Amino acid sequence: MLNLQDLYAMPLESHKVLVANRGEIAMRIMRACRKLGVAFTAIYTEEDAASGHVRLARETGGEKSLYRVSSYHDANELMSVADEAGCTAVHPGYGFFAEDFRFARRVMKRDRTMIFIGPSWKIIRELGDKINTKRLARSLGVPTVPGSDRPIYDEMEAERIARSVFEFQEQQGIRRPLVLVKASAGGGGMGIEEVYDIDVFRSVYRRIRNYALRQFKDEGVLIEQRITDFNHLEVQVVSDRTGRNPVHFGTRNCSIQSTGLQKRVEVAPGFAPGPITYSFDAAKVLTDIVDYSLTMARKVGYDNVGTWEWIVTRKGDPFLMEVNTRIQVENGVSACISRIRKDGRVIDDVDLLAEQVRIGLGQPLGYTQDDISFDGVGVEYRLIAEDPDNRFTPWVGRIERFQWKPQPWLTMLTHVPTDEPYEIPTEFDPNLALAIIWGKDLAEARARGLSFLDDLRLEGRNNAGEELKSNVNFLRANTERILRF
Amino acid sequence: MRRVRNKMDNNIEKRVQGLTDRLTYARDIFAGKHEEDIRLLEEKLAVFVERARRGELADPYNDVLGLEELFAFVEKRLENAVTPMDKVRIVRHPQRICLRDILENVYDNFTEVGGQDEHSLDPSMLIARAVITRRRGKKTYTQSVMVIGQEKGHGAEFRNGGSVKPWGNAKALHYMNVAETEGIPIHTYIFTPGSYPIEDYPGAAQQIARNIYGMAGLRVPIVAVISEGGSGGAEAIGLADKRLMLSHGYYSVISPEGAAAIEGRLKAGQRATPELIEHCAGSLKITAQDNLAFGYIDRIVQEPPLGARPYHFDFFRSLRQEVLRATDEVVLSHRKWPGFRGLAVARVRNPEANLDEMHTRWGLSASAKDSMVEHRQQKFLRLSREAAIDNRPFMAKNMAALQDWLSEPWMHVKYDFFRKHQRKISTFMEEMGNEVEMVKNRLLSPWYKMTRRLPGRQTEDKAQELTALSTWTDDSRRSRWNYLSPRYKIDRTLTCPNSESYGCLDLWGPDLFAEFAGVCSHCGHHFPMEPEWYVKNVFDVESVYEFNGEIEAGNPLAFPGFEERIAEAQKKNNTKSGCMTFEARIDGIKMVVAMLMGTFRGGSVGAAEGYKFVEAAQRAQKKRYPFLAYVHGTAGIRIQEGTNGVIQMPRCTVAVRRYVESGGLYMVLYDTNSFAGPVASFLGCSPYQFAVRSSNIGFAGPGVIKETTGMDIPPKYHRSYHALSRGHIQGIWDRRQIRANLKQALLTIGGRNLYYR
Repeated sequence: MLNLQDLYAMPLESHKVLVANRGEIAMRIMRACRKLGVAFTAIYTEEDAASGHVRLARETGGEKSLYRVSSYHDANELMSVADEAGCTAVHPGYGFFAEDFRFARRVMKRDRTMIFIGPSWKIIRELGDKINTKRLARSLGVPTVPGSDRPIYDEMEAERIARSVFEFQEQQGIRRPLVLVKASAGGGGMGIEEVYDIDVFRSVYRRIRNYALRQFKDEGVLIEQRITDFNHLEVQVVSDRTGRNPVHFGTRNCSIQSTGLQKRVEVAPGFAPGPITYSFDAAKVLTDIVDYSLTMARKVGYDNVGTWEWIVTRKGDPFLMEVNTRIQVENGVSACISRIRKDGRVIDDVDLLAEQVRIGLGQPLGYTQDDISFDGVGVEYRLIAEDPDNRFTPWVGRIERFQWKPQPWLTMLTHVPTDEPYEIPTEFDPNLALAIIWGKDLAEARARGLSFLDDLRLEGRNNAGEELKSNVNFLRANTERILRF
Repeated sequence: MRRVRNKMDNNIEKRVQGLTDRLTYARDIFAGKHEEDIRLLEEKLAVFVERARRGELADPYNDVLGLEELFAFVEKRLENAVTPMDKVRIVRHPQRICLRDILENVYDNFTEVGGQDEHSLDPSMLIARAVITRRRGKKTYTQSVMVIGQEKGHGAEFRNGGSVKPWGNAKALHYMNVAETEGIPIHTYIFTPGSYPIEDYPGAAQQIARNIYGMAGLRVPIVAVISEGGSGGAEAIGLADKRLMLSHGYYSVISPEGAAAIEGRLKAGQRATPELIEHCAGSLKITAQDNLAFGYIDRIVQEPPLGARPYHFDFFRSLRQEVLRATDEVVLSHRKWPGFRGLAVARVRNPEANLDEMHTRWGLSASAKDSMVEHRQQKFLRLSREAAIDNRPFMAKNMAALQDWLSEPWMHVKYDFFRKHQRKISTFMEEMGNEVEMVKNRLLSPWYKMTRRLPGRQTEDKAQELTALSTWTDDSRRSRWNYLSPRYKIDRTLTCPNSESYGCLDLWGPDLFAEFAGVCSHCGHHFPMEPEWYVKNVFDVESVYEFNGEIEAGNPLAFPGFEERIAEAQKKNNTKSGCMTFEARIDGIKMVVAMLMGTFRGGSVGAAEGYKFVEAAQRAQKKRYPFLAYVHGTAGIRIQEGTNGVIQMPRCTVAVRRYVESGGLYMVLYDTNSFAGPVASFLGCSPYQFAVRSSNIGFAGPGVIKETTGMDIPPKYHRSYHALSRGHIQGIWDRRQIRANLKQALLTIGGRNLYYR
């Protein structure tokens, strides 16, 4: 029986990766594996039989490279597929098991141990807990949203903190101070309320506390400043299994979002201090958040790819939001502006997924921060069948035509076949494609983005015979806005 | 053919009928044994009948007398050969005396108050106000008693064989309270094979527990007479100052058939062999003589050979004497003046005395009632100690006694004097403090006003507080469990039993038995956990101090082959008995805990377990700690200990009642399967009972209910939610929340003599 160290010491060619995901990310993982010469096994469910990732696996996979499962959510089934196919590692992609420390732990601690391509389970657990992350940040002097950094159980203490948060905002000159009361055990928007007035604080506090007690069996409550006017920035961090030398692949700005706070356009780098003037020192903010992120990564011994999410206020104050201990959808936009100097030559088609698989399987990083340089501006559009005018309601139906004009500066990532009609499965989110556009500067990237959207053909009908609805117009309208605060 | 005219006269015919009945009776109770004796009688009787019919007999009266003497002679001879199982058949025989026979023959007059015949809340529970008239010299005295007992009605179907439903027991308790109000003694007559095991509103166990708890403190004399004492049903009206037993009765933890089914590990529908049943009846030590030797009854009322039947009028006379004697004795021994008391008791106790010609008033003064209840409780607390093996070293035992003797006055000083005054002092200090604060504010307010205007410092403080790391001492979210079930080390997946209905995914063992605490993360199903899990995870780390661990479960009845099984359980659990008693803390709140471990012979309760439970309750009472009975699981009373087990029901209930009345907080927490005797007594009587979601609570298991009542049991019949809607328990907790909920309960419930708040 192999142990984890043996697995890390194995050459890449003798590994086999279970791609425990679907759609676009599954395809990217499979391509990364092929590039590295690593075998893979893909899975799919009945609804996904027509998806591009199944076809790709069938076409490019080797022996035992495709299995049908009943659900992407059943760890037991994934484990038996991995055993049956003889996998040595599991790549969770994003969503599903990507940030589930129990799954990561199970992969590593089971009798037939495997590599979890992602940070070690302890780091997922540490950084998956928002309170923990906030306390870790504060202990390192990393700025966090003003407010409590531990659950408050005492009503009088809660009110005192809420009062301070109000006064603090008044001192900061904020016109309409807001306090956020949330259940410390909650998540996903449950058990969160805003308080505009300290006099209603107690009633809101009690409501949240009772809700938390009922729902999560823990009456701890967090009290924070609510920041309304901000930009959403990210820092892409990459580190090998030693966890000692994390590097960053620049920043991203993901401020263009749907009403449900889902990202729609991502831009790298995070700000453009040259062409656009900001009310604060944007270049300093970018270096600051990068430094802060790497400090934290070093502290916890972060050992794979991850994203530090930040909010930057109009005054230019950055606050750490959370850490995503996984590869993100928008990793390609960071990759497209990055260049790595390795072994005396420059790699300009950086593939962060391949890097993740490579270092995840135990290979050393092989370059330092000094070897990474950035060039140009990347824009990523998420093409989604939805109705932006109607609160981004997903549209379900059949795609009959999906075409775009290939360009050297354009990368299309999609699992939707272009040569035959495709029925959008209702079980999963209706993400259709990612379009990554590179330009040498902001103006060029914007112009190329608009021309791509103009050339795009996306047509279809649903069962009622209605026209396909997509967010193309929304993306076009927002292209003007990118990187502006 | 010419028909022979019957020349037998009417009186002879009646007596022949009587003899025929006696013959069938003898044949029934011996079930095939002593057949030649019975056949001899049968032949003699047949010859006599034949000749009497023909009129061949010169003096048929003389002949029938001779025949009756022969019957009596043979019966007397067979009497010596009566086995325990024969006694079981005797008490079950339709010809056996019933409560109505006793009411008619022992008492002088009576009125049924608990319903009439089938028009009754429960026809198997008969309640009557009866009077006894006594004469001393020319004066007559009439005294009232409340007679309560099961009525079998000579096999009448609506009496349900004396198997009382929960509401029948509730009726009994109600009339006991009536008797208490009226100040008249209670005579209970126990004619039951066991209680009717249904979980209704209330459930069988719930109501029996209420009865036992009530009787433990009832302030009137209680005399119980046992004919058929079937376990829980008997205890429901059996906790008495004096317990008499009919010489041919039995008093047992379970019917011999039930014991045989358990011993033979029979499945539903299978029947035990007669030999095994006979063997069990013998091993269980169920006869009056056995129980007298154990001390669980006070006296035996001798019955005529082969058991009393309604025509045994001399038996009724001696029964009357015995119940009068018992009642008089209870009353007299609590009279105020010791000198007179001794004389009077001696006079009553004299076996030659005719109680009908003596008179004792049955009223008692308040102090006499106190002493009577105290006496009753002490009597039960003393019982059955010999049945457990007390391996505590001699010195330790005596040191404990010495410590008790010394600590008692200290506890009085500490709690009754010191704490009371301490409270007064602290109230005074608080008030002084308030005054000082007010004066200070008034004097310093100009200074505050000035400094508040100054800029600077404050803003920084605020920013500092809201953005810097705060101190957080008790992060309880990390490393939640101090103890993990050893099963977590095995790499395997388990299927939740609810996966069919709720679609739960299979659970990975290392997750389930460590982080999830054995709870399905999808539906909340609780997989059973070891007792250690609770001991180590519910209470503060390192706070558990076990005591009386040396008291050992034994085999008091020398039940064949049981010693090995006990030894096996001891080895498996690494403990001496199925009840672990310890002191522990929850967030610093000290408490005494008695834990019944489901892994030790099903968590059954025998003499050792009861002993430890009683000791724990007394310790909690002495130390003014809350007392928690944590039921990891209990299958009931340990049947192999017979009445040594059954007696734990009243005994532990008495201990619990004494604790509760001394101002303590007694809480019960059920975890897994909690059934039968313990639930129907010292657990079920608690005012604060909670259950973990995994628990099943009830009187008898589904198999037994099906067997005894013929009813099909609906699924989830015993689930904790059903017990909650019956009002048996007060709440249902998640296993992962036991600690938090216990703490909350302790802080919100409390007891009047506890000092932890």
